[in-house]
Amino acid sequence: MAETADLGHQRIVPALTYADAPAAIEWLCRVFGFEEVRRMEVGDGRIGNAALRLLGEEIMLASPFEEAGTLSPRDLAALHQQITVYVDDVDAHYLRARDEGARVLAEPADRFWGGRTYWVEDLEGHRWTFQQQLRSVSDEESAAEMLKIASNED
Amino acid sequence: MTESQRVFPYLAYADAPAAIDWLRRVFGFEPLDVQTIPDGRVVHAALALEGAQVMLASLFDGGGYCSPQTLEAVPSHVLIHVENVDAHFRQAESAGASIRYGPVDQPWGARLYEATDLEGHRWAFMQPQGSASNSNEHTE
Repeated sequence: MAETADLGHQRIVPALTYADAPAAIEWLCRVFGFEEVRRMEVGDGRIGNAALRLLGEEIMLASPFEEAGTLSPRDLAALHQQITVYVDDVDAHYLRARDEGARVLAEPADRFWGGRTYWVEDLEGHRWTFQQQLRSVSDEESAAEMLKIASNED
Repeated sequence: MTESQRVFPYLAYADAPAAIDWLRRVFGFEPLDVQTIPDGRVVHAALALEGAQVMLASLFDGGGYCSPQTLEAVPSHVLIHVENVDAHFRQAESAGASIRYGPVDQPWGARLYEATDLEGHRWAFMQPQGSASNSNEHTE
């Protein structure tokens, strides 16, 4: 798997669409702590592709392109994907995001799957989960908790 | 590096069990951890392809999520690096994936194709050019 090391980041990369991609780059760096790796502008203010880095891994983003059938979540009724990121100190990450004005959907809490997790929406409505793994959870324990969820829903 | 992957695309499917089967059969993902509730819905699943993991779950009411089959356009997609993009393309196409374009050489140094899955999630499979398993010469 020598190629994996050559990439310099993980092999699977979420790619997000933002109506105002330059503003999104600024926001994601300031609020979530990403660093800009590269941006390719297409000349009319739109970004064809940009890469941002956090803790050695990358996400990609771009402006919407009609011919590609892409739109910002601000122009859509719902989302079909969220991004999950494992960080080393989820409470510190949460405080930074909150203080910078991010819309927090659920505050950090210890979850039954062994993570301490918070949910947050970015400036255009993409949803993110930041999580710190605290302990490993057995399949039996996890299954029991899921049954509770299923019965609460009814 | 892949053992400590930190960033995961997490996808919503109307029929997650069907999606897991499709992603295994067409794209070659291996289900690692599939957690279901008695009505058959998947509350969490992790799948891996060449060491890279993606997560998915069934839709639950009130979550603000939908299957992409109900969207007019997509707000995000998944980009995944594979060892041999042409071989991956041939397998996916023959297994019934809907190919949007490619495989094509991109000016920024990669060869990629894009496909949609059974519910309309978009996947771009790519291989950096100049890598060991490059097999571009005989295609296109």
